[in-house]
Amino acid sequence: MAESTGKQMKFREKLTGPKGYFEIRLESIGGLGANLCGKMLGELGIKYLDVNSCSFSSYGSEKTGTPVKGFVRYCIKAKEIRDHSPVVEPDLLVIFHGALMKDESVWMGCTKDTVVILALEEGDDKETKDITFGHSGVFYGLPAQRIAMDTHSRINVVMLGACLRVMGVEDISVGEKICRDTLGVKYPEALEGNLEGLRKGYEEVAFLQENSKGSEYAERKQTTRWGYDNAPLGGINPEFGSTIISDLSPSRQGYIPLFIKEKCINCGLCHSTCPDMVFQFEKGKYKGREMMVNLGLDYYHCKGCLRCVDVCPVNALVRGVEAEHPHKDYFIPNRELLRNPDYYEKAGPDGYITSEAYLTEKRMEGGEV
Amino acid sequence: MKNQVITFASGNEMAAKAIKQIGYDLMGYYPITPSTQIAENLDIMRASGETDLIMIAAEGEHSAAGICYGAAVAGGRVINATSANGLLYAMEQFPVQAGTRYPMVMNVVCRTVSGPLSIKGDHSDIMYMLNAGWPILFAVTAQQVYDFNIIALKLAEQVRLPVVVAYDGFFTSHQKCRCFMFTQDETVKAFVGDKKEECPFLDLNHPITVGSYMNEPDLINNRYQLHHAMERADEVIEKLFDEYYEISGRQYHKVEGIGCEDAKEALVLLGSSYDTATEAVEELRSQGNKVGAATLHVLRPFPGKELMGLLQHASDIVVADRQDSYGAGGGNLSLEVRSAAQRYERQMHIKSIIYGLGGKDFFKEDAKEMLTMAGDENRPDFMYYGITKGKKEKTQKPLLAPVTAEQARIHATEVIDHKVTGGNLNAVTAMPGRLAPGHGACPGCGIPVNLNLLLKGIEDPVVFLFQTGCGMIVSTAYPKTAFKVPYLHNLFQNGAATLSGVAEICYRKQQKGEIPPGDIIFVMVSGDGGMDIGMGSALGTALRGHRLLIFEYDNGGYMNTGYQLSYSTPLGAKSSTSHVGKNQYGKTFFHKDMPRIMEATGIPYVATVAESNPTDFIRKAAKAAYYAKTTGTAYIKAISACPLNWNDKPATERRVIEAAVDSCYFPLYEVEQGITTISYDPEKTGKKIPVSDWLSMMGRTKHLLKPEYSHIVLKIQDEIDRRFAELKKRAEQNL
Repeated sequence: MAESTGKQMKFREKLTGPKGYFEIRLESIGGLGANLCGKMLGELGIKYLDVNSCSFSSYGSEKTGTPVKGFVRYCIKAKEIRDHSPVVEPDLLVIFHGALMKDESVWMGCTKDTVVILALEEGDDKETKDITFGHSGVFYGLPAQRIAMDTHSRINVVMLGACLRVMGVEDISVGEKICRDTLGVKYPEALEGNLEGLRKGYEEVAFLQENSKGSEYAERKQTTRWGYDNAPLGGINPEFGSTIISDLSPSRQGYIPLFIKEKCINCGLCHSTCPDMVFQFEKGKYKGREMMVNLGLDYYHCKGCLRCVDVCPVNALVRGVEAEHPHKDYFIPNRELLRNPDYYEKAGPDGYITSEAYLTEKRMEGGEV
Repeated sequence: MKNQVITFASGNEMAAKAIKQIGYDLMGYYPITPSTQIAENLDIMRASGETDLIMIAAEGEHSAAGICYGAAVAGGRVINATSANGLLYAMEQFPVQAGTRYPMVMNVVCRTVSGPLSIKGDHSDIMYMLNAGWPILFAVTAQQVYDFNIIALKLAEQVRLPVVVAYDGFFTSHQKCRCFMFTQDETVKAFVGDKKEECPFLDLNHPITVGSYMNEPDLINNRYQLHHAMERADEVIEKLFDEYYEISGRQYHKVEGIGCEDAKEALVLLGSSYDTATEAVEELRSQGNKVGAATLHVLRPFPGKELMGLLQHASDIVVADRQDSYGAGGGNLSLEVRSAAQRYERQMHIKSIIYGLGGKDFFKEDAKEMLTMAGDENRPDFMYYGITKGKKEKTQKPLLAPVTAEQARIHATEVIDHKVTGGNLNAVTAMPGRLAPGHGACPGCGIPVNLNLLLKGIEDPVVFLFQTGCGMIVSTAYPKTAFKVPYLHNLFQNGAATLSGVAEICYRKQQKGEIPPGDIIFVMVSGDGGMDIGMGSALGTALRGHRLLIFEYDNGGYMNTGYQLSYSTPLGAKSSTSHVGKNQYGKTFFHKDMPRIMEATGIPYVATVAESNPTDFIRKAAKAAYYAKTTGTAYIKAISACPLNWNDKPATERRVIEAAVDSCYFPLYEVEQGITTISYDPEKTGKKIPVSDWLSMMGRTKHLLKPEYSHIVLKIQDEIDRRFAELKKRAEQNL
């Protein structure tokens, strides 16, 4: 860790402070393993840090790409943890992905004393950084995704290493032990990479800056458009097709399909394989024949699955790195829209995956980073 | 005190650990969030050989309760776990079991009862159990889940009643925390003791009849016996709590309180909220306020006397309920507390608050706020806490227009004389979307792909019914909806029947001239899970021959709840209820041949489709729509990719589907008016591949390629070959 000008944190001091807890909130995207990271932090507390602890997640929404929150509470060993509510004012806020930093709700309860660990990648844009450092907090950062790729580990262990360093845990071996306990028993072949990722996370996390006068917001108000006074009875929804204002770009994992229109033969295969109704066809002419013609893609709804790239018979759709294409060619808004939406709402896939047994196993095996 | 170890676990995990240590004989269950993890954890232990529990994944909760009842009658030690609508679906069985006096234990992991469908935690389900004749223990913490599971079986067997252990979904079931468990299983087994059967059902030398036909004057005596058993449970519970203290060091009582020794104002609530409220009480008391909080560890028999004893100094009580007994002026807990106060002649002012419905979080601040309401005369005696009024909104111009019949008639497919032409992939892109983009399916999900292919072939207006499943969850998360055409959700036991009702009223209204004439295609959409639990409803609908289309997207598992096995999961595939370990190779029975079952109902059209053959798909959709509007029920089944749980790459799903088709795991054919036609025969095109090629493409089946599982692959291959040979024979002979 770079020589720190920031406040050195000692998580144990918080345990005897007025709140009586040391509270962590993990802000992540489904698939990055934050749930497991939270679980490891919790178990670590009890097994190796000589504290009492609990951990849980924002259940109800954990499809790939969906925002996920993880919560961890530590207190002194003799005390029972009886508060079962989510962590509103974290002592340590850990953000797993740049795409989340623009989301206000991620910063809920963050004050000048909150220590924040950011997974900042080389490619993250200036806007993300400006928004991030505009908040109050003591900021640490590391390129977690790069480290995970280099070490063949997963972001969750890299962030775990960073957490331990920032919390003031002096001996990384406790982290290694919990990795062995959790990951090592079932998947010994993946263990070495994960341990390396953990150590790198511990070593590379660096103090960035602190901001005591940034924006703060502590409200835990749930906002909802329709209340008892104006919601249609029975949960009826009269606003047909309203998901069209969802901006699903946060679901993408770095790649987008690029359209090379000159090559397109308008076969319609991309339209037939796209789960997200991204392709915009309209009546037109191709090689002198009247037919439906592919105008382009509505990238608001593209989740980056790249099914279209796989089926395109003429390579008119190719995989591109999204960061290299800030201005997307052939970005055609959905042709069924009667007018431009006033705004698009950033959204991830939703739904509920509420069991872990299979997923944990699968994710430990590697695959998505 | 016996030796214990510390473990970091959730309520569901602790339930599973207790069940394993007790050494039950059988678990009959059906996965439902948030209780599913119990079965999942036990399945992991089964796979590794830690337990030999017989685990039966029923095709619905009603059957699960039946399996449990039968196993209990036969003298087994039996466990079940369920939640919400699963509990209600099985409800009919519970009084049967209590009335015939067969002990077992069921974990009810409390969740909101639909609809609108919610998966989160409240107490609207458990309160339906109050009249079932089952003692109900209520655990506040994960530790208590473990402890009460152990106590529950002993209680059940002592009073010969089935017992519920209830706890909060998610708050208790999913939060991981420090818990203690006995080091030795023997400690638990010794506490519970051996099972004694008074009249063993399977003693062939002393035959007994269970389940007599009984009216007046006898039934009331049977019920009086049940009442008596419940009274006995009231005595036994306290004794068992004391006995359990001897081995565990943890002393429980029917009621628990904090600050009640002198509290004037007290908050009474159930479950995890009590735990959170204790922190509020401690804080308020440290500031000199005489407040308290109380909870119940037993709901049936209701410990009214003990609760009144605990609250002896309280004059103002707030009872907060995570459910409402609509029209009764309070949730059930508050009604019971009011009745206890009257029965034990206590003068106290009782307010009822409804809070936390649909899993709305409960904070320490909420508990403080509720406590201030207790003595406040300006606050009403009954209120909903945490509701939102809603904002005034400007009316805005719509973003989309509804799809008209004319717009849908794109003339890309045509059905003449039972022959379909068209289905050109370029031409069908002209079909307006009945489903808007922006839905929340996972990247690469097959469901919207299949839906869109289906809809491209239907050139008439569409009315949808979706059964519960990924398809509805990702498309209708309030306050948004992806549907641009009329859409109805019903629970997956009952979708087909519900759509029958919709269709019949439509036809009647058209006949009467109340709505315009014209063809409408009624489409029921279901996953393969819905075609397990809802099979009866679908078969009944098909047998009655309503004019509608049943569309099944088969991704081979209950993907919506974290991939538990369905009856369509391939043999040997791993899932969260069919793990792979030294004692288990994955799912143990073949994938269900649903089209064959539907055929037997004699409906005019049955077809299988796959996105890898998109034109064939679209043409079959057109034909199915034709039959649905002119003749009767049509059924189409698509194999549907699930990158998340098949554990493969989203981009290459179409190739995986193609392999399923080319291996004849999922053959493409149709059965029209009883005549079978194979739509695509990979043997003829030279594309036939062994099933192992397909299995190797997915993480869920890749393990089968290991030499030790070669006999499983062989079995799958044989079954596929047998089914395909039969299909070909029928096609050749025009059957």
